[in-house]
Amino acid sequence: MYRYDAIDAAIVADRAAEFRGQVARRLSGELSEDQFKPLRLMNGLYLQLHAYMLRVAIPYGTLSADQLRRLALIARRFDKGFGHFTTRTNIQFNWIRLGDAPDILDSLAEVGLHAIQTSGNCIRNTTADPYAGATAEEIDDPRVWSEAIRQWSTLHPEFTYLPRKFKIAVTGAAKDRTAARVHDIGLKLRRSRDGELGFEVMVGGGMGRTPYLGQTIREHLPARHLLSYLTAILRTYNRLGRRDNIYKARIKILVASLGAEAFGREVEAEWAELDQAAIDLPDIELARIRAAFNDIAFEDLPPVSAALNAAKAADLSLARFVRNNVAAHKVPGYGIVNISLKTPGDVPGDCTADQMDAIAALADTYGFGEIRVTHAQNLVLPHVKLDDVPAVHAGLQQIGLAAANIDLASDIIACPGLDFCALANARAIPIAQAIAARFAEPAMAERVGELKIKISGCINACGHHHVGHIGILGVDKKGEEFYQLTLGGSGAEDASLGEVLGPALPADRVAPSVDTLVDVYLRERTPGERFLDTYRRVGLTAFRSAVYAEAL
Amino acid sequence: MSEAVITANSLVAGDVVFWAGGGWVEALADAERFADPSALDTTLQTAKGQTTTVIDPYAIDIVLEGGQPVPASYRERIRALGPTTHPDHGKQARGGAGVEAIAAHAGAGVRSSGRLGLIRRK
Repeated sequence: MYRYDAIDAAIVADRAAEFRGQVARRLSGELSEDQFKPLRLMNGLYLQLHAYMLRVAIPYGTLSADQLRRLALIARRFDKGFGHFTTRTNIQFNWIRLGDAPDILDSLAEVGLHAIQTSGNCIRNTTADPYAGATAEEIDDPRVWSEAIRQWSTLHPEFTYLPRKFKIAVTGAAKDRTAARVHDIGLKLRRSRDGELGFEVMVGGGMGRTPYLGQTIREHLPARHLLSYLTAILRTYNRLGRRDNIYKARIKILVASLGAEAFGREVEAEWAELDQAAIDLPDIELARIRAAFNDIAFEDLPPVSAALNAAKAADLSLARFVRNNVAAHKVPGYGIVNISLKTPGDVPGDCTADQMDAIAALADTYGFGEIRVTHAQNLVLPHVKLDDVPAVHAGLQQIGLAAANIDLASDIIACPGLDFCALANARAIPIAQAIAARFAEPAMAERVGELKIKISGCINACGHHHVGHIGILGVDKKGEEFYQLTLGGSGAEDASLGEVLGPALPADRVAPSVDTLVDVYLRERTPGERFLDTYRRVGLTAFRSAVYAEAL
Repeated sequence: MSEAVITANSLVAGDVVFWAGGGWVEALADAERFADPSALDTTLQTAKGQTTTVIDPYAIDIVLEGGQPVPASYRERIRALGPTTHPDHGKQARGGAGVEAIAAHAGAGVRSSGRLGLIRRK
C-alpha cells in the first residue's frame, strides 16, 4: 500500500505541533472558544455530549496493521478501550480530553495518521471501494486515484473554506460499494469504447435534510484529467454555491437549482479556461503511486482450496462465514474476507483495542498487513489465501467478530445517535441492537437474505437512512424519541432514495415493525428477489398497511 | 414549581459539569438548584464568565424525584448519566442515589432539549 513520503510526514507532524500550540493558547485563555472551535474542528476534534470526540482520517479506508495497532494503543491509553468506525470509513474516539489531543495527534503522526479534513468546509477524506485491488470486478484500482485526490486536496488553500463540506467517493467497479450517487462527487472508473480509462462524473448527490442522487455531468472524463476537472467543479461550486443559508449550501442544492445540464456547462467552461497541465498529475507521479499499490506478491495457487472445502464440510459456522463474508478475489486461490463489526448485541461499528490488535495480527499473518474500512462500518482483509480462511475465521471467533452477516438484516448501519452525539434527536444504537436481536439466529437472517437497514439519530443522516432498504430516522416528537421509517432506498449501483412509510413510530414499535415488513416481504417475494426487489415490484401500500394495521 | 440547574462541559476534559457554589461539580445531585429565575440568570452570567474552565454554560429544567434532581429532558438525562449503550461508561458508572433517581426516570421527557431560554421563560 501507499506510504506517506517525507513531505506528507512533515505536513502531518507540523500540523500536530501547530495544534499543540493552539490548545495551549486556548487553555491559557489567549484564544476564546469562538476562536478555538474552528481550529479544533480542523483537527477533527468535536465536543459531544460526554466528552470530546476525535475523528481520525483513514484515507480511502485503507489501514496498515501498524496503523491499526496504533489506533488500538490510542483507544487504550486515551479512550475507554474502544473506537467507532464510521460511515465515512473513519474512526472516532468518544472519550477524548482536550489536554490529551496534542499527544494523540503526535502519536498518530508517527504512523502517518492524522485528523486533517475530517471536519470543516473542506474536501473531506475521500472514500473508495473497500475491495480495491482485490476484486476482479474493477476497471482500475480506485486507490490510485483516491491517493491522487488526497495529495491534491490536502490543505488545498482554495478549497479550505468552501460554502460547505465536500465529499468524494471513487468506485473502480460497476458494483458500487461506496454509495457514490449520494456523494457531492461520485466517480466511477470506466473504459470508453476505444479502451481509454476514464471516469463517469456524478455531481450533487447527498443525504441530510434534502437528499438527492448525484447526476452524471460527464459520461467519460479521460482519467488523466481528473484533478483539473475536479478543480473546475470545485471552483464552480465555490463561486456559485450559497453561503447565506447553511441548509442550502451543499453542492446538491446548487446542482438541483441550476439543473445538472446547466451546472455541467458551467464546469466545462471553467475547465476550458484552466491551465489543465499545471493541475493534472504527471504520468510519472501517477506511475509512482500506482507502483506503491502493486507491492503484493501473490502466489500461484489453484483456484479451489481443498483445505478450505474440507474445513467447511466439517464446520457449518465456517461454511456460513464463507457464504456471507468471503468474496471472490481477482487472484486464484485468494479471497476477500469481510469482518463484521455487527455482532448482534454489540454496538455497530465499535471495535475494542484488543480486537484491533488481534485483527492487525491476523492481517500480518494472513493478509499482507492490510485492512480496509467499509462505509457499512465493517472491516475487510482484502487478500487472504483461501487455505488460510479457516485460521482467520478461528481467530475472529476468539475475539467475538465472526458474525456471518454481511449485508444481512443484522448488519445494520447506525450513527452514534443521542447516546453520544450533540446533534442527535434520538438514539440509534439501541434501535439497531433491538432489530439485530431479532435476526441474531444466523439461519433466520440468511433466509431473509440481503436487507440493508440503516439508522440515523437525526436528519443529518450520518446513518445513511435515506438509502437503506429499510431506513430509520430518529425524530423528536413532543419531547419523545420517535422513528420515521422509509423503504426502498439504495446506496449501491441501483441507487434510490427511500419513501416514507407513514407516521413516525415510538421506539418500542420499531423492531416489531421491521419484523412485520420482513413478514410482508417473505410472503410476497418471488424466487431470487431481495427485499428491495420485492418492494420495488409491489410498492409501498402492502408494507404500509401491514405496519399501521398492527399499530392501530 | 420547577427548578433549574446550570450545566456545561469542562474545557480540559469535555465532561459534563454542574454549577455549585461558585464552581463546578461532576454529579447532578450536588448541583446548586435555582427556583428564582432572576437568581438563575445572574448566576448564569457569572458561569459564562469562566471561559477557561468550561464551555457554553446553560440552564436546564429539573424535577425532584424522591428528593433527587432529575433533568426534565431525555437528552439531559443521557448527559447526566452517560451513554445508555454503555452502562459502565460516564457518570452512571459511579452509581449512588442521584444516578439511580435519573436512571429510574430515563424514559420519555417533556422536551428533547433541556436547554432553557430557547423557549423564553415567563
